[in-house]
Amino acid sequence: MTPAPTLAARGVSKSFFGNAVLREVSIALQPGRIHALLGENGAGKSTLINILSGALLPDAGAVEIDGRVFRGLNPRDAHRAGIAVVQQELGLTTQLSIAENIGIGALPRRYGLIDYRGLARRARAAMDLVGLNEDLATPVGDLPLGRRQMVEIARALFREPRVLILDEPTSSLSAHEVETLTALLDRLRAKGTAILYISHRLNEVMRLCQHVTVLKDGVVTADRPIEGVEAADLVRLMVGRDTGHLFPAWTPSADRDPIIQVSGLSSGVLRDIDMSIRRGEVLGIGGLVGQGQEDLLLSLYGALPASARTAEFNRQRNLPASVRRANALGLAYVPADRKREGLHLIHAIGWNLMLPSLARAFSLSLRDRSKERVLATALADRFAIKGDLTRQVRALSGGNQQKVALAKWTPAEPQVWLLNDPTRGVDVETKREIYALLRRLASEGKAIVLSSSDTPELVHLCDRVAVMREGRIVATIEREALSEGAIVAAAMGADPLRTAA
Amino acid sequence: MNPGEAVRFPKVRPRALFASRPVLTFLIVVAVWIGASFVKPGFGAFGHLRYLVELGAVVGLAAIGQTFVVIAGGIDLSVGAIITVSAVGAPLVALAFDESGAFAALITLAAATVIGVLNGLGVAFLRAHPMIMTLAMATFLQGLLILLAGGSAISAQSPLLEWLGSARPGGVPAGVLVWAIASVLSLLALHATPFGARVFALGANSLAATLSGVNVPATTVAVYAISGLTAGMTGLLLLGMNGQGYVGIGDPYLLSSIAAVVLGGTSILGGSGTYAGSIPGAVLLVTITGLITVVNASPGWRSILFGSLILALLLISGREARRR
Repeated sequence: MTPAPTLAARGVSKSFFGNAVLREVSIALQPGRIHALLGENGAGKSTLINILSGALLPDAGAVEIDGRVFRGLNPRDAHRAGIAVVQQELGLTTQLSIAENIGIGALPRRYGLIDYRGLARRARAAMDLVGLNEDLATPVGDLPLGRRQMVEIARALFREPRVLILDEPTSSLSAHEVETLTALLDRLRAKGTAILYISHRLNEVMRLCQHVTVLKDGVVTADRPIEGVEAADLVRLMVGRDTGHLFPAWTPSADRDPIIQVSGLSSGVLRDIDMSIRRGEVLGIGGLVGQGQEDLLLSLYGALPASARTAEFNRQRNLPASVRRANALGLAYVPADRKREGLHLIHAIGWNLMLPSLARAFSLSLRDRSKERVLATALADRFAIKGDLTRQVRALSGGNQQKVALAKWTPAEPQVWLLNDPTRGVDVETKREIYALLRRLASEGKAIVLSSSDTPELVHLCDRVAVMREGRIVATIEREALSEGAIVAAAMGADPLRTAA
Repeated sequence: MNPGEAVRFPKVRPRALFASRPVLTFLIVVAVWIGASFVKPGFGAFGHLRYLVELGAVVGLAAIGQTFVVIAGGIDLSVGAIITVSAVGAPLVALAFDESGAFAALITLAAATVIGVLNGLGVAFLRAHPMIMTLAMATFLQGLLILLAGGSAISAQSPLLEWLGSARPGGVPAGVLVWAIASVLSLLALHATPFGARVFALGANSLAATLSGVNVPATTVAVYAISGLTAGMTGLLLLGMNGQGYVGIGDPYLLSSIAAVVLGGTSILGGSGTYAGSIPGAVLLVTITGLITVVNASPGWRSILFGSLILALLLISGREARRR
């Protein structure tokens, strides 16, 4: 008989807008155990954490704390019960000092005012635990990312939690900081804290954790002690679903001359990228979220300042220095965040479809409205965007908005399409249409660069997949060797598959 | 037009037209005029209404540039100062060989445009917030004016200014004529050219505009340049109507230009609106000012009344619709 779990979810389900994100998921966090939670991007890990910490209410099922069932757990209850979460997205206030960030929400008071002396003493104690020796008054904004992550962990420890949930705590830490954290977690475990540890780094998980739960598409595919499990087994449990029917048949296209070749591309987090993009191919960009995929697309598109040893774009030397230059060279970019970056939500659908053309046209020429209407109608018909095009774009569903974001570039006839997660938050039917469109463009001899957080998409759609980790392309996998396992393994550095790019 | 297009671009129904802000603002103007003519005999006389529109031309010209800037997501707080620069500067550059005054006018307009370009460069490349950039510019210009002109009024006489201030070709005041031509040109630029579309794109979402290939810096500089130019025109018109320029002559037109834009339904958040609304907006503002002067009250109370009325009108003709 195992002791009662400190924190547990029993058969919780959650869906957003009709999309099931979690289906009858159960997980039990025992005191004195480090519990790993694994799963691909979008498997439902973040949603599960949010339910465990009371930030989200499950549609079905319940959360238990010390065996007591909470139907409507809210963050305050969770906090009072000693549940602390270290979020993946840094939730620190950059202008406030380290001490204030650590204490915020639980500031010690004296006579109704903040007791700064008490705060300093307790914050210092929490900082010592994580090996932070910076001045307490340093604004968090002055710290590098890894140190901020440690502040975030210190903030969780400040509350002396009984359950500590860490969402990818090591993604921005240096090796030394990881060591400190590992030692700390071992000490906390020995003291009886229940720890939920989410990480994409499998070797870390194998070393640190005693128990593992694997999520795939919102369903638990494994819940077992980590002893006797191989890293490869875990990878297999995380991937490998049957989605083949979504994708069009893959046929290689004859035209495979390089249209873009860069070497030694560096920009922001990007380090020394060599790549060539060929006509008639869909080149996938894979990897965990935030490994520099977006920066790569943006620097190819001239939207980020970048440098390269050599670069050749459509027979022109040099990287495009601006978006307009990139457009002139035949590039188009479809952003992942279509609401903020791709579309003008308050403007009409038809207007959005015309914008790239209007951006290129001579400034003070007169617009030909009837020609614009004909063109917009043709585009809408071709992309199956239904209804009145004088409506604002924000009236459309996510899938239809994405179609507008894609359709608006077709009049420019781009030779290279840079697509940043084009199927994020898009319904299945639209996904199917987008996939068919991409293969059709490739068969017409266009080059497609598809960055995606959806691994099956990369496997079924791409001719090659470049996998990125920490700003570098760590592997380029050819069609013959493509599998979800290969991509995930390369993304996590479990078994680097190096082939010539 | 094929049948598919009728679904894609349905005809605008007349009823919807009445709900549009420019039309609404125009109807308010008409209502105020009719109401005031009943209360105050002589208000509705043709001469008086023409005078109101003539005053409206001053606000309306300044509101042209302001409309462009506000739709592009910015604001120009240096409009008043540029008007003053132009009204005080034009007499200073009056040269002996320039008998008609056209040369002085051209130099003044060029200088005003350059000031606008500087505003635009600051906003586009120094990434100064439009409020800070244009406010700093206004303060700078005020200092410069005091150094150049001192405290005294400078009178100016040239055939061109005289024509602007008092000519009435075909019964239409010259200022109103200039305003009408400028209005048509701005409406065309805003709604019938790719440039206008870019202004809207910039104001609605500058990041999406950049990624769609819009030259955001150039568009930004252009809208502030337009604002400088129309403020310069406003200054010349004021000079012509007043006969003299003095430091502070443009001050009242800063708030008026912004108020006219907002009363006309242009979103202060940028991205949507039309100059067609700023036109009745400008006339509405001068009408209110005119009505307040009739009220027997001290200047302090008039100012309070004016401020309250603008606020009340904004509440009536629709607050900013919530978005995002």
